[in-house]
Amino acid sequence: MTNDEVFSKISAKFPKIEKASVQIKDYLTVRLSSKDDLLPFAQWAKDSSFDMLETVTATDLLGPVDMRGYIRQQNFNPFLPEGATPQIESAPAAAYPYRPAMDLLWVFFSVAERARVFVRLELPRENISAPSLVPLFKSADWQEREAFDLLGIRFEGHPNLIKILTPDFTQGHPLRKDYVHVKDRFDE
Amino acid sequence: MAMILEKLPGLTKGLPGGELLLTTSDYFIDLGRKQSLWPMTFGLACCAIEMMASYASRLDFDRMGVIPRASPRQADVMIVAGTVCKKMAEPILEIYHQMPEPRFVISMGSCANCGGPYYDSYSVLKGVDRIVPVDVYVAGCPPRPEALQYAVVKLQEKIAKMSLKKGLATVQQEKGSRDINA
Amino acid sequence: MSDTALKSDRLFINLGPQHPSTHGVLRIGLTIDGEVIVKAVPDIGYLHRGTEKLAEVRNYHHCVVLTDRWDYVAAMPNNLVFCLAAEKLMGVKTTPRADALRVIMCEMNRIASHLLFFGTYGIDLGALTPFLYAFREREMILDLFEMSCGARLTYNYIRLGGVMVDVSPEWLKRTTEFVEYFKPRLDEYDTLLTYNPIFMNRTQDVGIVTPQEAVSWALSGPNLRGSGVNHDVRKSDPYSGYENYDFDVPLGKTGSCWDRYHCRVQEMRQSVRIVEQAIAKLPDGPFMASGVAKIPKPAAGEAYAHVEGARGDLGIYLASDGGISPFRMHVHAPSFINLAMLQEKLVGMKVSDVIALLGSIDIVLGEVDR
Repeated sequence: MTNDEVFSKISAKFPKIEKASVQIKDYLTVRLSSKDDLLPFAQWAKDSSFDMLETVTATDLLGPVDMRGYIRQQNFNPFLPEGATPQIESAPAAAYPYRPAMDLLWVFFSVAERARVFVRLELPRENISAPSLVPLFKSADWQEREAFDLLGIRFEGHPNLIKILTPDFTQGHPLRKDYVHVKDRFDE
Repeated sequence: MAMILEKLPGLTKGLPGGELLLTTSDYFIDLGRKQSLWPMTFGLACCAIEMMASYASRLDFDRMGVIPRASPRQADVMIVAGTVCKKMAEPILEIYHQMPEPRFVISMGSCANCGGPYYDSYSVLKGVDRIVPVDVYVAGCPPRPEALQYAVVKLQEKIAKMSLKKGLATVQQEKGSRDINA
Repeated sequence: MSDTALKSDRLFINLGPQHPSTHGVLRIGLTIDGEVIVKAVPDIGYLHRGTEKLAEVRNYHHCVVLTDRWDYVAAMPNNLVFCLAAEKLMGVKTTPRADALRVIMCEMNRIASHLLFFGTYGIDLGALTPFLYAFREREMILDLFEMSCGARLTYNYIRLGGVMVDVSPEWLKRTTEFVEYFKPRLDEYDTLLTYNPIFMNRTQDVGIVTPQEAVSWALSGPNLRGSGVNHDVRKSDPYSGYENYDFDVPLGKTGSCWDRYHCRVQEMRQSVRIVEQAIAKLPDGPFMASGVAKIPKPAAGEAYAHVEGARGDLGIYLASDGGISPFRMHVHAPSFINLAMLQEKLVGMKVSDVIALLGSIDIVLGEVDR
């Protein structure tokens, strides 16, 4: 199935869903208008042969990453001259629309049709929550926990939404752009 | 036996009932200790694969008396092979304290030495020597199996210098652990 | 259990993080009733190195170094997938020779990875000899890698726009020799382990994953194909010219541990076929595309690339904001997703089968935790 065929099938069922303005290269990317659309879409996807939920993740669009989220010593590179800037710093790129929002991403794959659809949903950053897809797709379980752990997205209806990768004493959600590392007992 | 006896810095005398050997107790204890270093099979990351390679057919660690043990209670050496993450730091400490004295630590690879490619990561411990005293560091990312075997040779040289008087500790251990719980 | 005269208590067993058969630092909290597992809680994150976060302050060339250390048993596909995604972002087109070299390296690395699986799975189930045989051949592959790029495990060979250096005629000759040497060894492995009755008894009918379950858990690689679901990225979404090679996708029948194991052993044969074809028709020309910047600054955009790594469908989602480092990198790690089924599949199994199932999933903790 080509991307256009998949999209015509989707738009026949969900007229509100549009193609995303930024397409992920070579793949069909659609954008949900609100988070209420997610569960009906996922249910449709499961019933119409898109039975594999490959990826659940998100991007924080707040801005360039905060360098305080990294543990860097002043002069960690002995080959640099005194006072030189050690390495690339994260700088804002011109004309990129940074905004306090998170862009969630689900990837549905159809094993039979060998087609893939990328579903995006932008949500405001404050108290971010999205519906959980665990009742429909088992693979959502750990991936949603990972997104919760690293990005702080609450998935409503997840049976076991706890930290998965970071240790208990890590405070905050490291993949958020404004993450500032709090020194723990293992950092001198 | 005769070969080894010739090399011993002691006095060997032929007596009617056999041979009498005189040597220092330190030398004798260290000789036994250094020839049978049993490491714990304890792989953390990439370096563990190279550690496995050094146990395997081509490089054959057994010929140096290095036989992997699965339990820390039976092990002499802990080979920290790989990135030590903060979540893993506490289990490592626990394993270290379970090992019987005298115990040695080989830090294998850049990650275990100083953090390596993860020098600025929020979840990586910058060197295992922050929690346990390390006897031999092996550089590389990952080090070749030959490098690990050379580290064992170096450790054997260190062990040969240990003495009962000093309380059976290598130089690193005398300096004291940077154990955060201590 | 409850209607026997003997009343058994539930016991909590802590498997790992230091356990010789968990292949690294996986920890599983098992609650057992007699010999039967009633609850299994995998605990991961003991090797979480924050690679996705680190990529946000590395430039694109630096990121290739980080990719080596996810799946350190088969690092070439990791290099490849990141380069494919970044090349999509930058609009770089690779040369035919670079593509063919990438395919050769990835398939050789798949053989090396499956050999490691073959050896360690034997050890897990009590067969110590296959390990020594597998490493004999694995060392030869590593020698070839060392000859081409200088490293044994973390290659950094596949670079943005092509490969690091061209291979020498001597290398091609030795690779052909290795392939000829390796083919009869595969039959040797079958007699050593595959059709060994003890091994078969311990793995057949153990840890059966039905095709529906496999799809719902989004398994990939030999774990999915062991259940009989025909999905291989090399066939369904070809990259680097895989559509030009003739190879089969081995499928399992029942989805048991033995089927997953057998898929891998058969995959080695297919990889050998691909390597032979790729060497036979290796095109001439440059090994590196022109126009890759020293510090690339791709325009704002998003790209996704995925390859059939040794463990499954390894994907990279890469977003750029126009800066010198990726704005967001997400790794679709097959080991992480394959491992998730453990919490459900272990329930009801016997304690001795835990390692049989865990070994057959063939995880690499560096990829699980990233």
